[in-house]
Amino acid sequence: MSYVNAQPTIERAARRVGRFNEPRSALVESRVDGSPARVNRQGVAFVREEWRVVDRWWTDEPVDRRYFEVVLETGENAVVFRDEERGCWFSQRGA
Amino acid sequence: MLACIVIPGFTLRAALRARPALAHRPAALAPVEGEEPLIGPVTAAAEAAGVRPGMRLGEALATCPSLALVEPDPAGAEQAWEEIVRRLEDVGIAVEPVGHGCAYFDTRGVERLYGGVEGALRRALAAVGSSWDPRAGAAERRFAALAAANVARPGQALVVEDGRASGFLAPLPLELLPLDERRREELAELGLRKVGDLAALPAAAVGERLGADGRKAWNLARGEQGRRVRARKPAAELAEVLEFPEAVGNELTLRRAVNVLLDRLLARPERADRLVRKLALSARLVGGGSWRRTLTLREPNAERDRLRIALGPKLAELPGPVVALRLEAVELARSTGRQLELVRPEGDELAGRLGEGLRQVRASTGGGAVCTVVEVAPWSRLPEQRALLVAKDE
Repeated sequence: MSYVNAQPTIERAARRVGRFNEPRSALVESRVDGSPARVNRQGVAFVREEWRVVDRWWTDEPVDRRYFEVVLETGENAVVFRDEERGCWFSQRGA
Repeated sequence: MLACIVIPGFTLRAALRARPALAHRPAALAPVEGEEPLIGPVTAAAEAAGVRPGMRLGEALATCPSLALVEPDPAGAEQAWEEIVRRLEDVGIAVEPVGHGCAYFDTRGVERLYGGVEGALRRALAAVGSSWDPRAGAAERRFAALAAANVARPGQALVVEDGRASGFLAPLPLELLPLDERRREELAELGLRKVGDLAALPAAAVGERLGADGRKAWNLARGEQGRRVRARKPAAELAEVLEFPEAVGNELTLRRAVNVLLDRLLARPERADRLVRKLALSARLVGGGSWRRTLTLREPNAERDRLRIALGPKLAELPGPVVALRLEAVELARSTGRQLELVRPEGDELAGRLGEGLRQVRASTGGGAVCTVVEVAPWSRLPEQRALLVAKDE
């Protein structure tokens, strides 16, 4: 049996109102101290800055993020964070 | 409720209209010239013989040596689909077509007219026509409606009651989800074969392992996306056809034919002096197939010479001699002419060019492609809370 699957236009329609600079899943290998060693299979040359955002702890959806601004071995700048609530990594622009 | 009409293997069915005898024999849509040799949709007889859509051509012929290959007919498929959508619009249904053989509509507009959801679906199936074996599905969300239409039998409608969508979706195969082949194989290796298997996974794990596409598919699997239908605005058909007494392959003759078609098209009273933004040139080929190219103009205009120059390179892409040439004005601009100013106000020209560029992008990629950033909470510590992306359709 063949199926007609959901078309890209469906996704396009769903995108009509979205958040700007939404976090995207990132593949990050971290060091013992928790700082990123590789981001999306690219080595990290050095970490420029590190900060923490803890917010909405009084709600059902608390935010606890550990941000890192890094320079990759390719020379590219990137901002990644570890979501401490969910235990996974994301990259984000505009941070 | 949202309803979905599906015609499986539409492109093959459209191509088989010229060779109806093949419909009951093993047949498949031939691969497109210059692309990977993968076959398209197949007939029921071919499927019974073990041939599957998307199979490599060599493998398909080895599996079923009597398999007949049907030349794709993109122009014929486009025309047939347009006719179906218009028939649906003629019975009062505002349709959102999402590709050949699949369209959505909101039943709320016609429920009282046809006596409920089932009545509206029956009317829609009748409007499509039984020769296409259409199936209909209805649910609260788009994906559940699409799944219901895929599960329904030819000529029948399946309604998924509110609140039962996730239970209905759970046993269905993962093929229904818009995932690429690599992702699907990855999921199969993990032992996930049904929509429900994916829906049962935690969101964070899906996002981390499968990325944004996987997360979207997860949302669809849980029946949590797509509540709206964006019906198209029916356009007046503006097309001209030139049939040749014998096959023509000479480029000079074809260019002259395009000139004649342009003259006729521009002289049509329905155009009401509006400028042309998007054109489609299609041809019926001598071997039985067809060819179609669309052209979005940088600036809408109605000057014959400019349109002729823009269409010239498309003619060079014709794969062989043609027996008929068709020129269609797919989209017309709102403006009827342009008055040049002696001194333009500062910034006006730039704004005009930007607006024109955005309209061009919309004409070539469809609604929702152009967005604007609206600041909502610039003070927020979370970057994604500071601004929204809002579709800018006008």
